[in-house]
Amino acid sequence: MAQVARDGLKQVRPILSLDRDEARKRVLNLYKAWYRQLPYIVRQYDIPKNVNDCRNKLREEFTKHKDIRDIRIIDMLVIKGQMELKETVNIWKQKGHIMSYFKETIEPKPTDFLSKFLTSKD
Amino acid sequence: MLPSLRFLGNGMRSLGLRSLQTSSALRHDSLFVHRDTPEDNLDIPFEFTEDNKKRIDAILAIYPEGHKRGAMIPILDLAQRQHGWLPISAMHKVANILNLPYMRVYEVATFYTMFIRKPTGKFHVQICTTTPCWLRGSDEILDTIKKNLCLEVGETSKDKLFTLSEVECLGACVNAPMVQINDDYYEDLTVQDTEQILKELKAGGKPKPGPRSGRFAAEPLGNPTSLKGEPTGPGFGVRADL
Amino acid sequence: MLRQSLTKVLNGAQLSPKHIALITRSASDQAAKKPEKIEVFIDDIPVQVEPGTTVLQAAALVGVEIPRFCYHERLAVAGNCRMCLVEVEKSPKPVAACAMPVMKGWRIKTDSELTKKAREGIMEFLLVNHPLDCPICDQGGECDLQDQSMAFGSDRSRFTDIDHSGKRAVEDKDIGPLIKTIMTRCIHCTRCIRFASEVAGVDDLGTTGRGNDMQVGTYVEKMFLSELSGNIIDLCPVGALTSKPYSFTARPWEIRKIDSIDVLDAVGSNIVVSTRTGEVMRIMPRVNEEINEEWLPDKSRFSYDGLKRQRLVTPMLRDSKGELKPVDWEVALLTVAKQIKNAGSSIGAIAGGLADAEVLVAVKDLLNRVGSEALCTEHTFPLDGSGTDLRSSYLLNNKIAGAEEADFVLLIGTNPRLEAPLLNSRLRKGYVHNELDVALIGPKVDLRYKYAHLGDSPSILQQLVSGQHEVSKKLKSAKKPLIIVGSEVLERVDGGAILSAVQKLSASTSPEVENWKVLNVLHKVASQVAALDIGYTPGVDKIRELNPKVLLLLGADEASIEKSDLPNDGFIIYLGHHGDHGAAVADAILPGAAYTEKQATYVNTEGRAQQTLVAVSPPGRAREDWKIIRALSEIVGATLPYDNLNEIRDRLDEVAPHLTRYGAAENANFFKQAEALSKSIKTQIDNTPFDVKLKELQDYYMTDSISRASPTMAKCVQAVLKQKQSKY
Repeated sequence: MAQVARDGLKQVRPILSLDRDEARKRVLNLYKAWYRQLPYIVRQYDIPKNVNDCRNKLREEFTKHKDIRDIRIIDMLVIKGQMELKETVNIWKQKGHIMSYFKETIEPKPTDFLSKFLTSKD
Repeated sequence: MLPSLRFLGNGMRSLGLRSLQTSSALRHDSLFVHRDTPEDNLDIPFEFTEDNKKRIDAILAIYPEGHKRGAMIPILDLAQRQHGWLPISAMHKVANILNLPYMRVYEVATFYTMFIRKPTGKFHVQICTTTPCWLRGSDEILDTIKKNLCLEVGETSKDKLFTLSEVECLGACVNAPMVQINDDYYEDLTVQDTEQILKELKAGGKPKPGPRSGRFAAEPLGNPTSLKGEPTGPGFGVRADL
Repeated sequence: MLRQSLTKVLNGAQLSPKHIALITRSASDQAAKKPEKIEVFIDDIPVQVEPGTTVLQAAALVGVEIPRFCYHERLAVAGNCRMCLVEVEKSPKPVAACAMPVMKGWRIKTDSELTKKAREGIMEFLLVNHPLDCPICDQGGECDLQDQSMAFGSDRSRFTDIDHSGKRAVEDKDIGPLIKTIMTRCIHCTRCIRFASEVAGVDDLGTTGRGNDMQVGTYVEKMFLSELSGNIIDLCPVGALTSKPYSFTARPWEIRKIDSIDVLDAVGSNIVVSTRTGEVMRIMPRVNEEINEEWLPDKSRFSYDGLKRQRLVTPMLRDSKGELKPVDWEVALLTVAKQIKNAGSSIGAIAGGLADAEVLVAVKDLLNRVGSEALCTEHTFPLDGSGTDLRSSYLLNNKIAGAEEADFVLLIGTNPRLEAPLLNSRLRKGYVHNELDVALIGPKVDLRYKYAHLGDSPSILQQLVSGQHEVSKKLKSAKKPLIIVGSEVLERVDGGAILSAVQKLSASTSPEVENWKVLNVLHKVASQVAALDIGYTPGVDKIRELNPKVLLLLGADEASIEKSDLPNDGFIIYLGHHGDHGAAVADAILPGAAYTEKQATYVNTEGRAQQTLVAVSPPGRAREDWKIIRALSEIVGATLPYDNLNEIRDRLDEVAPHLTRYGAAENANFFKQAEALSKSIKTQIDNTPFDVKLKELQDYYMTDSISRASPTMAKCVQAVLKQKQSKY
């Protein structure tokens, strides 16, 4: 019984990759695709950033998830990254969407009493 | 004051439809709110005469303690008799005598049409124009009075001697037509009788009240026509076996 | 549909059986004998009722509501609208349910053909003489006539007079700045007349004329000036009497109604605040049998326009030129906090009459944290003897509803008619229905009922205590005596001695009812009891002694302390909602919320905690008062440990648990101890005669910062003065 349960836990349906190597390959491919696209993004979207800034940001976005070990999650993040890329390349996004990688536009809600009071958000 | 009944013309036209028969809006000839006038305002003081004060004491004595307000109508009447009509200061006086809110006196004084709340002549001529009097020619009498006194209904003559009003049945139908002048009934009137009464009043005399046709009261004119025989005794017309 | 279902009144837990007895006085006379109940049938449902119960009341017992216009539970039965006609089996005609006592075995049919026909007929008669001006009538939407004509009227009209020559028309009356009259709409139910003469005691309304010419009014040009006049607006079942300030401003279906509490006197009447588009449109009473029944005095009802005027909408600081300049909250709080920090423990606070319990406790906590105990209320109370340590010494112990049961009431230095109109209406009710005798020591004032005026000298009180006065015997023999002391006489220098004398006097009475409390104190402002409960020191003497560098005024507008009472560099902070006297002397203004704009606790003069609810948001940058103190405390560096309403309510509960038991009035019972402690009082009663501030009706309308800002109240004062000139 215990064996069955353990097997059931291990054997989940893969999303894309069957093992870590394959997943790694997909991540690197996505990274490269973004990396190559960056000069065009800077030009087409006319953002106040240079290619270097964007490369740093790209690296930052990828390293944000460096500790993820689950293959399924890695796959899913790759899929999302590809969707983002496609939206960017096809100019389905606007300037603001790109810039939001650099700066969050929504101000954080006040949490403590005094800032709530001063911003009249009580 | 007699309502001129008015049938709705279109109501007649569309017979068969559900519709109310309406008469013209009936308005009383006096107001039911007080307006300050030169004759009637609180700056004109009202005081009962000494005689009347005694009468008031007598009237109040009739009513038990706690129910003195029952004396309101007699005292108001007394005030009206003294003054000829009922000014607002008299109402206040009565309220003060009875220790009542003024409003309670206003309520009574406006309810009864015989309390007259506007200046009235020395002789208040009230002519009955209800059906029995009307059938017996009250319109003629009214015209005579109007012409004689140069007054319309509801008016007071300039010399403050006469006030003419048209009233509903005064309960003297048997002696129709009739007028009431102050407290006296003048009955069985003809145009000549009316003119004579008014002439006498103008001259300062006091015409004899009652029927002018020679009747004493309400008995038949001429000889009795019924109940002429001896009154029957008990048991008249009753079955013998009872 | 009807204003208030009779069932609720009769079955409601709040109502004691004596109210029913009041309605059917014949029944109350026999109550002592406990007569057998009789059985009647309402729509074939059997019900056991006391003899003397009317058909309408019997029907209400089984939940059948009979339509009515003239009948009102709290007024005498008039029986003149005829709307309550019902069929009674074997009776040849329908009977008027409101006036007809039931007989044994009657079978009443409230839904039969005859009843329906009768109602339809009455409706038709009423509507023939009623204008069809519902679209421009202020009562539209909450009109009994509208509702009942929908429910019981005919679905078609026989009134074909399209020329409008036959409709009755009546001229409008001018009865003052509060009540608008459109007398053509009047259906002659006479509720207003009965209210005026029975409850208000002002016999100015009546019917004049008769038949088609009958009209309700004053006959002469006279204003209906009573402190309870606004209630006839609620009583009027049609739009004949409507509110003048409210006229043409809102419709009932577009209004939001919020239950709240009135704070303009110490009674704490329950109210409903109607709002639309963030504005208070009107204030109406809410039924609470223990406090205001269903009445509301005029100041509480009509001074809401003062909430929109003279408001403090932004924090302000006095600049170098001595002018108040608007600033941000941040700047204001920082400046104020700096002053507080510099002052150290040399800081005091004065609570005004409109302060709520939350801000009172927050200010106390803040000042205690910075090391000060100088927390005062604007209205003083004697501190000698037991002082304010025992609640029983400063409460209206026998409760407001208890006043109408009393058989002898001694008023000392108070004018209940203007200080607490609803307490006075209770006393008047007792006077009219319960053979209550009232005696008064103090200036001779008009209470709208007869009372024995004993004089205004304090020596009379002493005579009473020693039992030499002629009234003493009456007081001692009374079964339910009450002594009501106005808080104003206790504000005198010899207040302690007066209170002690009164305590002695009440101990000498012998009430025959268990838990009957003779000693009652009537306060004038809503905040006083809560402030004393929380532990504020009554009176500002402490502030004068301490001479603090920083003074915090919590809506204190009675000019109890002047700038000259403080050191030269003294700093006055005003926390409140109106630009009144307090704001004028302040160096910093922190705009707070008025009672319609916050959820706050108030304790009324009987010690009953109640809460207001937020009806509209505070104007401009104004904030809830306790939150301002909480924010300030953080900047001062003495952060108060509550961030939201629940937490501060927990703190209130810690201080005094009764403060959060909303609706309940905790009894206070330490009369004997208080009397024993009062023996230590050395001061003597001096001989200045007792006086009250509110003597005549014109004094009533403008007493606090809200009503002083209200144009309607100003008009009332003018109207009273004008009426005084009039001969009628």
